Amino acid sequence: MRTRPTRVAVAFAALTLVAACSGGGSITDSGDTQPPAGESTVADTGGETTVAESTTSVPADSLPDCPTDALADATGTTEITFWHGMSGPLGEELTRLTDAYNASQDKVKVSLVQGSYEETADNYYQASADDRPDIVQLPEYQVQAMVDTASAIPVGKCLEASGFDTSAFLPTALQAYSTAGVQWAMPFNISNPVLFYNKRVFEAAGLDPNTPPASLEEMRSMSQQIVESGAAKFGLSLESGFDSGGGWYVEQWFAKAQEFYVDGDNGRTTRATKVLYNNQTGVDLLTFLQQMLNDGLAVDVGDNSQTGYDNLLKMADQTEPAAMTINTSASLGPVLAVLGSGQFPNINANDVGVGPMPGPDGAPGALIGGAALWMVDSGDDVSTAATWDFLTYLVGAQVQSEWAVATGYVPNRTDALDLEPYKGTVAADPRFAVAYQQLLDTPDAPTSAGPVVGPLRQIRSVLATAVAAVFNGEDVQTVLDAAAEQANGLIADYNARN
Amino acid sequence: MKRRLRDVPWAVVMLLPSVVLIAVWTVYPLVKAVQNGHLRCDVTGTKCIDAGWGRYWDVFISAEFQHALGVSLKLMALTVPAGLVLGVGLAVLADKHLRGIGIFRTIFSSTVATSVAVASLVWFVLLQPQIGVFADLFSGWFPVLKNPGLLNDPGTALLAVAFSSIWANLGFTFIIVTAALQSVPRDLYESAYVDGAGNVRRFTNVTLPMIAPTLLFVTVVLTTRALQTYGEIALLTGGGPNPEKSTTTIPYLIYGRNSIISGDLGTKSAAAVLLFVLSLALALVQFRGLDKRVHYGR
Repeated sequence: MRTRPTRVAVAFAALTLVAACSGGGSITDSGDTQPPAGESTVADTGGETTVAESTTSVPADSLPDCPTDALADATGTTEITFWHGMSGPLGEELTRLTDAYNASQDKVKVSLVQGSYEETADNYYQASADDRPDIVQLPEYQVQAMVDTASAIPVGKCLEASGFDTSAFLPTALQAYSTAGVQWAMPFNISNPVLFYNKRVFEAAGLDPNTPPASLEEMRSMSQQIVESGAAKFGLSLESGFDSGGGWYVEQWFAKAQEFYVDGDNGRTTRATKVLYNNQTGVDLLTFLQQMLNDGLAVDVGDNSQTGYDNLLKMADQTEPAAMTINTSASLGPVLAVLGSGQFPNINANDVGVGPMPGPDGAPGALIGGAALWMVDSGDDVSTAATWDFLTYLVGAQVQSEWAVATGYVPNRTDALDLEPYKGTVAADPRFAVAYQQLLDTPDAPTSAGPVVGPLRQIRSVLATAVAAVFNGEDVQTVLDAAAEQANGLIADYNARN
Repeated sequence: MKRRLRDVPWAVVMLLPSVVLIAVWTVYPLVKAVQNGHLRCDVTGTKCIDAGWGRYWDVFISAEFQHALGVSLKLMALTVPAGLVLGVGLAVLADKHLRGIGIFRTIFSSTVATSVAVASLVWFVLLQPQIGVFADLFSGWFPVLKNPGLLNDPGTALLAVAFSSIWANLGFTFIIVTAALQSVPRDLYESAYVDGAGNVRRFTNVTLPMIAPTLLFVTVVLTTRALQTYGEIALLTGGGPNPEKSTTTIPYLIYGRNSIISGDLGTKSAAAVLLFVLSLALALVQFRGLDKRVHYGR
């Protein structure tokens, strides 16, 4: 039976037309908001794990225990596996630290498996219980999904069992990985956004090169002075990447304004069901940025997520540079290294100033980015104890001091500040202390822990598209409402499945 | 007959490695993807609801998939004809017995040895609006190169991706067509020459019909590759620029790191299966439609 080619082509075209005309909804709309009931499961659930109903309905005593002393009685070497997302120089440093740990004792031997954050998360979620590692490093936007796997031993249980002292740790870092009183994971590598500015341009514009803007309002007035004096074409370089200006920074600004970003107190007391970013705080914030673009005080370099440095390069542009931009503190080391080569005539490494991320009314503080270490419940006491031993090594003061200097991350504890090599590095170049100081200045408020919601990564993507539309001049409230509706659909769909 | 039966065990043994490999790496994932496509699962993929086969239709008609389909078809329309014409053109030019022609053949076919990642990075650096060479040299004539940059402008981003893709695939087309040209019997050209056919006439009446099977093959491969374009987009534009998402093709919708279905295995599988069906349908149309016009020299 040979179908005539024309007939196939016509059928194909017709199908496409029908589809185009049926005007489908969103791809994420499953049309089903009922949680998957036990009896309707298609795949084998194994019957051994129960998926938690919500973040908060997990009573602490129903969570797996952490027998941290089991290693003492164990004989031989316990082998554990660590899945992490550190590539390039970061991965090399983590390998060096792990090798040092393995060489220092013979009870525990750690082997590393490296992927990107996304690969690590995907591989972890899809792995069967037997294939999971003993310890996994996952970024801050994975907290809810990781809790929903019901596969982790909360670090809080281990802290309790071992009497581990956390008083030196940054409260805001610990808070980021806890929900409803359960400390789920241990912060390991921490970054937050800071302001980068060109001191030479500040000077040329008659501004004090050592006083960066503290508030959004100051950022605008300084931009005005820079543009009007002709010191630079633009005051500020903006971008709309989902892990930066289009998503993460908006979360930061909400935290600075002490506003929740999603309901359920940022998903930390009850499971989040909707985003709040289309409220007045969100509209004011994006209108402010849009106004800076309209007035020629800022420039939009587009989606930054490909490189992470398009906005920084705009500061080095020879014809139409910008004087300031916001970027993650983790990029400070690479920025200074690149500028140190002297290939950019209008900015060198010494011209780079670093200040805290300007917020509404100069409100200080920042949410932490980066990733945390999760203890995986293997059911084996000795493995668990071995994993805990390794984890406490990685978050120890000396290791954190070395790790921070080698990577540009912020140490997660105050006592690491007084240890070499971090102490010497900061003394030699105080710009490395800005990100840390910003975390210390974070107010003790429930809003100082960022949003915890299942599809946070996808929500950032949705908002990034909206921010790009706002930067293009579209109506802020309309765009944000549409983005909120789509994000709420994602959350409803996620909550229905988990 | 008896002998054939005796060969069966050996045949099985010899086929086994490839059968096992194809079963494990192609058939099993395909079956699994078709199966996952109508499931809606929790994070770990252990608790699932069966959304039914209608899920495929829902995904197909969704605004996001339709948009990605449009982008994919546009990319195909941009890359396949241009890639084919350029590849054949270069192959015909290089199909001369001249001193040093080997150097040109090497240059023309070199992109086959260049991975998509490397090719994309080269173009990415060349097109970078702030420090890229193109922006430095030509932004006087084409301001879009500088502001906002070819890859950042919703009107030109797909074109730039297509350009990089055509360039990267040129070596493949060139090599296959060159091989086909060399298998055309020289006496056909001589007869045509004797009959008074000029260069153009010899190309349209001898060369084209003789290499038609190869052209069909190249067309199908280029079409499939165009529909599967992922690397260029992941490295050059990330599916952007936003908010238009002018380069979010179907593969990017499925695999992209900032895709809104990135956390949803079932929907990703459904989209992947739809892409497979689409490629299959297009390949069938091409084979059925062009096959009859192709002379296989039998």
